[in-house]
Amino acid sequence: MSKLQKSAWFNLGLLTIGSLFALMCFYWAAGRIEKGFNYINVILFLLMLCFIIPAVYIIGQKKSYEAGFDEREKMINQRATSFSLWGLVIVLYLSCFTPFVALGGGNILKVVYLPVIFICTILTAQLIKSIAIIVQCALEEKDG
Amino acid sequence: MGSEHLSNNVRRLRFEHDQMTQQQLADKVGVTRQTIIAIEAGNYAPSLPLAFRIARTFGVPIEQVFQYDE
Repeated sequence: MSKLQKSAWFNLGLLTIGSLFALMCFYWAAGRIEKGFNYINVILFLLMLCFIIPAVYIIGQKKSYEAGFDEREKMINQRATSFSLWGLVIVLYLSCFTPFVALGGGNILKVVYLPVIFICTILTAQLIKSIAIIVQCALEEKDG
Repeated sequence: MGSEHLSNNVRRLRFEHDQMTQQQLADKVGVTRQTIIAIEAGNYAPSLPLAFRIARTFGVPIEQVFQYDE
């Protein structure tokens, strides 16, 4: 198994577990927070920032790690990234337009769904990228 | 991804060169073993620089390694 495949499996496992845990924690917290701007919300917001900023930094670092990939792996990675961007747009489209179609324009949606949409979008993009890498590697290496 | 018109003799040339393994060839040309597997299976068309590196490793012209079928 190449470095790219190992990285994809690692991302798939870690992000699935991490995102499901984040969603569970969020639902748990959201059920207890009814008021608007208060100290719990601010702490939750800052905690999420503490998670997101290192995550963005780690993803930035991984680009230099990807420099160790060969030409085929770089191509697979680029293709997987474009698939994940398409997935991201589709998930955003569905999550924004499905309530509009189902509930109608005059209805109100709870703001608790906005962070959920954010987490689901990131999770979906990463899931699609990891799966696209694993599938492409498997397809190219078959009959080897 | 695929290379419908590109065939190659990489596997034959490896065996003619002291049964060179895929890993040995991969190390010599600077790619992973999985890339050599994909090239041999005809599922990946290598870039020109990589094709030249493979040909030079075997000490033959590039046409003897890769053929383009019209």
